[in-house]
Amino acid sequence: MADPLLSLKNVQAGYGESIVLDGISLDIEEDGSLSVLGRNGVGKSTLLLTIMGFTNVSAGTVTWRGKDITGWLPHKRARAGIGWVSQERDIFPSLTVEENLTVAASPGRWDLKAVYDLFPRLAERRTNMGNHLSGGEQQMLTIARTLMTNPAILLLDEPLEGLAPIVVEELTAAIERMNDQEKMALVLVEQHASVALALTEQALVIERGAAAWAGASGDLVKDQALIDRYIGLNLTGQAKAG
Amino acid sequence: MTTQIVGILFDGLAFGMLLFVLSVGLSVTLGLMNFINLAHGSFAMIGGYVTLTLMREGGWPFLATLPAAFVITALISVAFERTLFRRLYRSTALNQVLLTIGLVFVSAAIAAYFYGTVQQPIQVPDYLRGSHEIAGVSFATYRLFLLVVALFLVALLIGGLEYTRFGARIRAAVDDQRMARGLGIDVDSVFAVTFALGSGLAGLGGALAIEIVGLDPSFGFHYLVFMLIVVAVGGLGSVGGSFAAAALLGIFDVAGKYYVPALGSFLIYIVLIVLLFVRPRGLFGKR
Repeated sequence: MADPLLSLKNVQAGYGESIVLDGISLDIEEDGSLSVLGRNGVGKSTLLLTIMGFTNVSAGTVTWRGKDITGWLPHKRARAGIGWVSQERDIFPSLTVEENLTVAASPGRWDLKAVYDLFPRLAERRTNMGNHLSGGEQQMLTIARTLMTNPAILLLDEPLEGLAPIVVEELTAAIERMNDQEKMALVLVEQHASVALALTEQALVIERGAAAWAGASGDLVKDQALIDRYIGLNLTGQAKAG
Repeated sequence: MTTQIVGILFDGLAFGMLLFVLSVGLSVTLGLMNFINLAHGSFAMIGGYVTLTLMREGGWPFLATLPAAFVITALISVAFERTLFRRLYRSTALNQVLLTIGLVFVSAAIAAYFYGTVQQPIQVPDYLRGSHEIAGVSFATYRLFLLVVALFLVALLIGGLEYTRFGARIRAAVDDQRMARGLGIDVDSVFAVTFALGSGLAGLGGALAIEIVGLDPSFGFHYLVFMLIVVAVGGLGSVGGSFAAAALLGIFDVAGKYYVPALGSFLIYIVLIVLLFVRPRGLFGKR
């Protein structure tokens, strides 16, 4: 069997001396998709930061297309095809919308035309400075900016957080299209379990930095008791978020 | 009266332009990496001695030494950046200050050893000497030359920062280093290149400064104060801010020494204090 696209084996990681993730393992295939669920502060964002190389990995390995990248710097990982969309929607405020898109772009399927087709509202605001955007537009811009690097995998950190329902619908459709039609692998960190599970094949539930449950998203959807236990009700998840 | 005021404004502006060339690199690198490089003035001094040596020992014409001052200073600065500075990027401000101020002492001692402690004059070419009279006011040719060089550099820097991909990468890295890295921008390389360009500009400034303020081993200390004021008033990482701050500082310094000689060089510190009370982040600073 071919190597998975991205693989973590017993990864222990954190910041400085403190350990946040303890013994996380996962495999994602070329067009695979994974939901990462759990309450606030269990280490979901840290998992994405670890895949990007922003944390201290004290044990275990991260491999990308069969290569050990545990010691790689973040920019090298990004160039190798790992596309990260951070939770903070950190647009570069000194750059225009279009500069935000092109600053780190690399050639491929996703160019300006393609991302403007995906998010027509960004085309209307191409000359605006990055910080003069609504929350929804900012989220579209951060996703589009990462797409412009033409990644093989998209790591999305709570992309639907705090957005109006209509924008959530638009983004959900875009994310679905990326994974289903464009065959881009997807790791989706979300508070809204139902939305995330509908978008992905696999799910990983994290509890205090370790895997509490892993399996098919379809199985988790049916197990409301498990969802309540590890993730809580969607409503409480929403109230706590932010 | 009017001619006197115009004359002082002009002299002040020309001095300000010199301060701009000396300081703008420090502003950009401080804004980009938060690295406190107090040795920036020493890089300027290196540029001065490069021009002096090439003219005196090599018989080079003055203008030809200016690109050399830029390039040699840039190369020396990169050697320091790769070997010493980069070890302290994640260190405390105090460690950075101690290292770089130490370098200022070392460089001053080395300069004194090779060139002595006296002022080293150079002979600028005839076409840069004398003055032009316009509407009864006499404008020194060398100061006009400084003004032209500075305006050219402002256009080049703003153009480079605002309209090139590399400039966008610098701005992105200043805005949010982590995100820039996460998108595949090699922030360390961007910084190394920017640092070299900024130090090169300081070297060019040092070369241009000889004719106006002279050159001796204390240059790195003496002009550090001016550089830091330009950076503080202009705002970190802002080319336009550095330009405005340098112009203001030059004019106040020259006007102060002329009109209130008793206050002498202190006027600029008063201006600095007042300005920072009103605008703590500098004229155009974002943080």
